[in-house]
Amino acid sequence: MITFQFLDWLWLTLFVLLMVFFGFYFYKFGKRSQADYFLANRGLPWWLPASSVYATHTATDTPIWVAGVVYKYGFAGLWYSFYSAWCAISAYVSTRIFRRSLAYSQAEWQTLRFGELGAELLRGWLAGWQVFLNMFILGWVGIAMGKVCAYLFGWDLYVGLLIFTAIGAVYVYTSGYWGVVMADFQQGVIALLVIIIVSVYGVLAAGGPTAIISKLDRYNSTCEWKIPDIKSSQVDAIVRIKNAETGEEISRSESFLIKNTKNESLFKKAENSAKESVMNEQDDKKEDQILFPNNNSILLSDHGYNIVWSKNNNRKFVDVEYSLDNGNSWVLITKNQLEGQGWRLSPMSFTGMYEGQFPIAWFITMMIIALIGGFGMGTAIDWYPEAQRIQSAKSVRDAAYSIWAGTALVLVRNSIWAAAIMGFFVINPHLGQGGDYEMAWYRVGFEYLPVGMVGFLFAGIIAIHLSTVSTHLNLGAMYATRDFYHHYINPEASEEKLVSIGRKSTILILIGSFIFGLIIGEEITAWLIFALWIMSAGVWLPNILQVIWWRFNSWGFLSAWIANLGLSWLVVWILPRFGVIPELPDYLQFWALIILNAMIYLPVTFLTKPEKIDHLVAYYVMSRPIGFWGPVRKEAIRQGLIKSSDSK
Amino acid sequence: MSFINREWTPENADEMHKEDWFAIFFSVVSYIALMVGAAMSALLIPVGFVILIIGILSALIMYWIIDPKLRSISAEYEKNEKDYLLQLEEIQKWKKNK
Repeated sequence: MITFQFLDWLWLTLFVLLMVFFGFYFYKFGKRSQADYFLANRGLPWWLPASSVYATHTATDTPIWVAGVVYKYGFAGLWYSFYSAWCAISAYVSTRIFRRSLAYSQAEWQTLRFGELGAELLRGWLAGWQVFLNMFILGWVGIAMGKVCAYLFGWDLYVGLLIFTAIGAVYVYTSGYWGVVMADFQQGVIALLVIIIVSVYGVLAAGGPTAIISKLDRYNSTCEWKIPDIKSSQVDAIVRIKNAETGEEISRSESFLIKNTKNESLFKKAENSAKESVMNEQDDKKEDQILFPNNNSILLSDHGYNIVWSKNNNRKFVDVEYSLDNGNSWVLITKNQLEGQGWRLSPMSFTGMYEGQFPIAWFITMMIIALIGGFGMGTAIDWYPEAQRIQSAKSVRDAAYSIWAGTALVLVRNSIWAAAIMGFFVINPHLGQGGDYEMAWYRVGFEYLPVGMVGFLFAGIIAIHLSTVSTHLNLGAMYATRDFYHHYINPEASEEKLVSIGRKSTILILIGSFIFGLIIGEEITAWLIFALWIMSAGVWLPNILQVIWWRFNSWGFLSAWIANLGLSWLVVWILPRFGVIPELPDYLQFWALIILNAMIYLPVTFLTKPEKIDHLVAYYVMSRPIGFWGPVRKEAIRQGLIKSSDSK
Repeated sequence: MSFINREWTPENADEMHKEDWFAIFFSVVSYIALMVGAAMSALLIPVGFVILIIGILSALIMYWIIDPKLRSISAEYEKNEKDYLLQLEEIQKWKKNK
């Protein structure tokens, strides 16, 4: 727990007052019209939406997520955070197309790209999905804030969730997107400053860059092991390492005890013993020996530890196994675990083509998802808030640069965090429970910053939190107002009425987010992986096809969404649980969903009529999509709506 | 005419050209190099600085290639934006159209 000094409270109070001031200052702009309340009247220079892209994607859960993957995989873990790189291509493809469509939201874009009943169904579906998803996202970033406050002040999780999300709602309610984007700018500056300062302290706390590198080079090998939940009160166990190529046993541990108890002091004692084993200078004569667990170790059932063995510099990988029956049968803990700790400094440290915790196949899959996804719209969960920033830019050029620059800053920010996490690892190389090392960056800040700076760090954390919360409150309210109320319920509503509905929707989204936050609880990383990768896998390709292929129609797209909901549950949970298929690694789940889903939406597309050609021509002339639009382009030229570039 | 076209007519700028693909290529290289280079540079690993410089140079080349085209697209599009906005609001009022 942390005790705040006067200076800490001063930082905090000044920051919260500044936020509330923004709300009231931009009130007069936000109330002018729906376009003002949700898009700042489409008049922003590129650097404002860019700072909003950066600030929005710097949430309280982001350092938790980045720390989780970097602590586990070293610099190679940064590829997990590379999903935002869809903007590399999107900035010059889908961003350009979407900005030209002028649609407020992705749901509205559906009615421009597709026509008639199918388009209306898609719009309604996407709008409902987005209202739900924004509440869900607010719930998970809110609970991350709750987690930070629980760590700092010992509060219950819901207290941090409620207080700081509600502060964000004040200025979103009053000034809408104007307040969001202006506050994002200064929140982004504060957050970046805090991230740099804390990360520098983190690196210095570990002895500086040179010390980190040399310690990583000397430390012994480790492998995370989540102990199974045993039924009996205690059981004897052993672990062993094997040559990954020949399968030959290299070393076996002494027998140790696994107890079915909740004794946290026993857990800490064993953890500290693991820490000593990792950090002890290696004696060359003891190469290949398992140092932890040993016959003095008592490990707790259902807890995470690190197995430690003295590294062998001549070997790259080992396989690690455990046995609960004195070596008669063995269970694989991991394949191709990298030797030593020096591998953490290489961003290309993979555990083989298909094997281990981070295979090349998964890396390639992530790169394809991230980069090729930029040709589509909605291929990443971040597309939806980005779409709002794209429309708020004053020109197509500003939209492209805002998306590109904001994301570049996001990627560099992740790298700054990663350096601090490396420092944290050098000090704490023994943590085997995700929940402990995921808090690494926060721990660096609160354990190593000097007195009087802790309040500044906490103000930075609030900035990080508010920038994300404000975006999703306003975005969810936009879908509710523009795509439900204005489109279906009251098409003739005045601008004043629409702003009023926008405000009411903000409150509804806020209440929904509290409910989701309390449901999500503490398992943040698992939820994030689910949401970012798996949940959207089946519609990843249709999201691209809708942009680049004229023949893809609303019924094909709708069937893809419906099929994905069923198929993802089947492939990821239901079929493996009942033993129908084995539990697939993440990259295989993705490709399986891509293929299975295509077997549904492609026949549906070809068995139903294409969209009406006049509708497609109108869309083409306005948006100028790239890809396979030959027949539509030909018709647009025939109607004299565009000139053929060949004819000049 | 130079290999990279930096003068665009409005009609021409609306099409996809090799300049767009070059910009995309340098954009991807830049993202990768900025992320990897920044992480390694933060720990003062020498190759990290080289990678970081590659990232910055790639971004500058991307900008040099694509900016004239984006300017041309934006200028032409903004002339029609008002009409497009009116069309959009008509589509938005779906009941009236049914």
